[in-house]
Amino acid sequence: MTPDPIPLRSPSTLECRNCGAGAPVDEHFCPQCSRILALGRHGDYFSFLGLPRKLVIDSNDLERRFRDLSRKFHPDYFYNAAPTERLASLERSSYLNDAYRALKNPVSRVEHLLAIEGLPSARSEDASTGSGQAAGKVPPSLLEEVFALNEELDEIRELRESGEDPDKLRARLERARAPIDVKRDEHERQLQELSVRWDSQEHAAVAEKRATLDALRERLLERNYINNLLATIEREVASLAGSGQPAAGSHG
Amino acid sequence: MGKVVGIDLGTTNSLVAYVDEGRPVVMRDESGDALVPSVVSLDEDGTIFVGREAQRRLLAAPSRSVYSVKRFMGRGIDDVRGDAGLLPFRVSGEAGGVVRIGVGDREFTPPEISAFVLRELKHRAEEHFRKQGEFDFEVDRAVITVPAYFNDAQRTATRDAGRLAGLEVLRIINEPTAASLAYGLDKRNRGTIAVYDLGGGTFDISILKVEDGVFQVLSTNGDTHLGGDDIDRLLVEMVISDLAGSGAGGRGAGAAEGQMPPEGGPAAIEVIRRAVIQAKWDLSDVEETEIRVEPSPAVRAGYRRRITRADFERIIRPLVDRTLEPCRQALADAGLEPKDIDEAVLVGGSTRIPLVRRVVEELFERKPHSEINPDEVVALGAAVQADILVSGRREMLLLDVTPLSLGIETMGGVVSKIIVRNSTIPASGREMFTTGVDNQTGVDIHVLQGERELAADCRSLAHLHLRGIPPMVAGLPRIEVRFQIDANGILSVAARELRTGIEQTIEVKPSYGLTDQEVERMLIESFEHAEADFEARLLIDARNEAESVIHATEKVLRRADLDGVASELFEPGERERIDAALAGLKFVMAGTSRQAVHDWTHALNNVTRHLAEVTMNRTVREALAGKNVKDV
Repeated sequence: MTPDPIPLRSPSTLECRNCGAGAPVDEHFCPQCSRILALGRHGDYFSFLGLPRKLVIDSNDLERRFRDLSRKFHPDYFYNAAPTERLASLERSSYLNDAYRALKNPVSRVEHLLAIEGLPSARSEDASTGSGQAAGKVPPSLLEEVFALNEELDEIRELRESGEDPDKLRARLERARAPIDVKRDEHERQLQELSVRWDSQEHAAVAEKRATLDALRERLLERNYINNLLATIEREVASLAGSGQPAAGSHG
Repeated sequence: MGKVVGIDLGTTNSLVAYVDEGRPVVMRDESGDALVPSVVSLDEDGTIFVGREAQRRLLAAPSRSVYSVKRFMGRGIDDVRGDAGLLPFRVSGEAGGVVRIGVGDREFTPPEISAFVLRELKHRAEEHFRKQGEFDFEVDRAVITVPAYFNDAQRTATRDAGRLAGLEVLRIINEPTAASLAYGLDKRNRGTIAVYDLGGGTFDISILKVEDGVFQVLSTNGDTHLGGDDIDRLLVEMVISDLAGSGAGGRGAGAAEGQMPPEGGPAAIEVIRRAVIQAKWDLSDVEETEIRVEPSPAVRAGYRRRITRADFERIIRPLVDRTLEPCRQALADAGLEPKDIDEAVLVGGSTRIPLVRRVVEELFERKPHSEINPDEVVALGAAVQADILVSGRREMLLLDVTPLSLGIETMGGVVSKIIVRNSTIPASGREMFTTGVDNQTGVDIHVLQGERELAADCRSLAHLHLRGIPPMVAGLPRIEVRFQIDANGILSVAARELRTGIEQTIEVKPSYGLTDQEVERMLIESFEHAEADFEARLLIDARNEAESVIHATEKVLRRADLDGVASELFEPGERERIDAALAGLKFVMAGTSRQAVHDWTHALNNVTRHLAEVTMNRTVREALAGKNVKDV
């Protein structure tokens, strides 16, 4: 069902389209003729920015790298260059911007690490096949909370339709939200612990590293689920604001 | 290689600037005026007028004159119905298509109208370079600014306008970002800046971080339908409702509809508009003024009403408050609090309004900057960016963002986001598609821009038709569609079937834009009209020259009267000859004979020659403002 993932791993060398020399894949400019290199299929944001594959990142350092590289290959500076170099500059700048955005945020940083380490995506809205899996499967550690929340939401919806005071219902929603918030905070903490562990495992055995990655992925899946739950509560709150009227959303 | 300029293509006024020995300067006309009103007017014989001349004609021929066309760029007729009510020109278009503007028996798209304004700016710049004695004075490339919150269709329409005007558009940049570049020239400091840009028709807020000469936009937000025009409209509606007799309660409820033309038609709206704009300007300096419409055929009884700044602020408060939510959203998107902002910068003519200044100061908890003329700062920044592009100078780098998320419609009419808003541009995104039927060779994709969940609530950008997919079992093809937003904030799309590596051809049908073929056709048409345009241009040049001579002469005469030195300056009968020549020139200015304007200008120059000489000797050299002196 799920098609094989796009080959994210980079080839080992690049070929300079100007002079034909070979260049290491993480070079941005040809060591031979110093022209900007075409991007090719670079798949690793960490190495693109000259960073090790680690999850704890100094945000000032990341920002400085981003600025320095922007200054090297922004399209502004290739306005008069040959078309292939202009294209290379556009591609490298886009890729840099994507890389910076992904690594700046701790969660998307983990997502990217999992992808380049060859783990299946943990994003619930991964629409690549349009099959929409993941949505139905409740992570085991959340079963209890999900169960309780769904019951509470059903009850609140019923009460809303029978014209219960929206303020009372809002208060109930807030109460229902509290345990989910606790879970989320717990997850943030676990994510951080696992990130530190991953960084310390540089020379560890493959199996150990894999265990950490699996645990990180587990946390992300749960996290996505928790966010969906919070979003559901938000939607309920919003429909209360509509003064008892069912929310207008008749499209589709 | 021709010259390069920066252009601020505004709702109300447009400007052109360039970098002269490292400093950006705006280009002025003979009388020192930097603003070219974004007004285009068509004569019965097809002659086209732009700028001040077109503005003059707004009163005489309101239904043949077009202004505020920026509001229609990249938009469909359904978007602009609310605006069309109080405008004197015809606005039409098919549902789901480009807006058309009717003037006389001709119809134009908004990019064509904007192209007339751009041509005028191009001409102004070329005159400037020519007068400086440049051998190669042709202006062929420009950086043009747009509101940061412009969507893809609006940006593309602006680029099309540039092409139609014979300009290679080097870059489309965002107005608030351009302004920050102009400010950044003087202060090479670092910090977090909020640029609040309230112009004639649009509002933008951009939050930037400046460090090591890199101007990085963190977030942007805005409203492409909020500006000085809306303020004018509220006041015009108030006057119309007063005139309709329901004056008792100030604004009548009916006026809010904005669809009710007054008895005098478009001409009446235009005189009222001028009167309220004057009052609006007054109230930036004084506490009380009068909206005053002189009796005329358009408004027979005339109109007068005293208005205090407090009244004015009460009327416009809701509009000004509408800028606050975008500001808060931009701060939230940047992950900042108001106290994190080091500097706030004011851009756009509407930021002269004291209430606007107060609101900005309260929001960002600091006094905003307005040292650089808020009308000129954007054009200056555009010139800086143009210079960076052609010179390859690397001291400064602007990193902007895309204001709106880009997505595609998926099953159930839901939008799947591919590039999220506030992503630094250039930015790219990929999405995988496959087929649903065996041997299917084509896929249709609907591209949207906006933040809402449902496709119906987002802006439709284009329908893409992927063709040439190799025939395979359903679900087997793996088509990667790559969306690329370039440094202009404009989208391009490429697709490839990954199993075979075959590139797909993509037909793009823009939802609210022109196809390349349409732009080509318009270019050809514009050449056909070029002759009439050329005649008009000569007339306008003659009038502009005449105006500057009149201006310079009157200035000297006034000075002479004031200083009480008239007797030593004038020879017997000289004053009378000058007055007669002045009157003659002013009279022919109202007509359309270029020769007459030219002859009378010459005459005035002749009779003022002696005066010019003596005043020069009297060291009031500057009073003659350069050009006149040269002609003498």
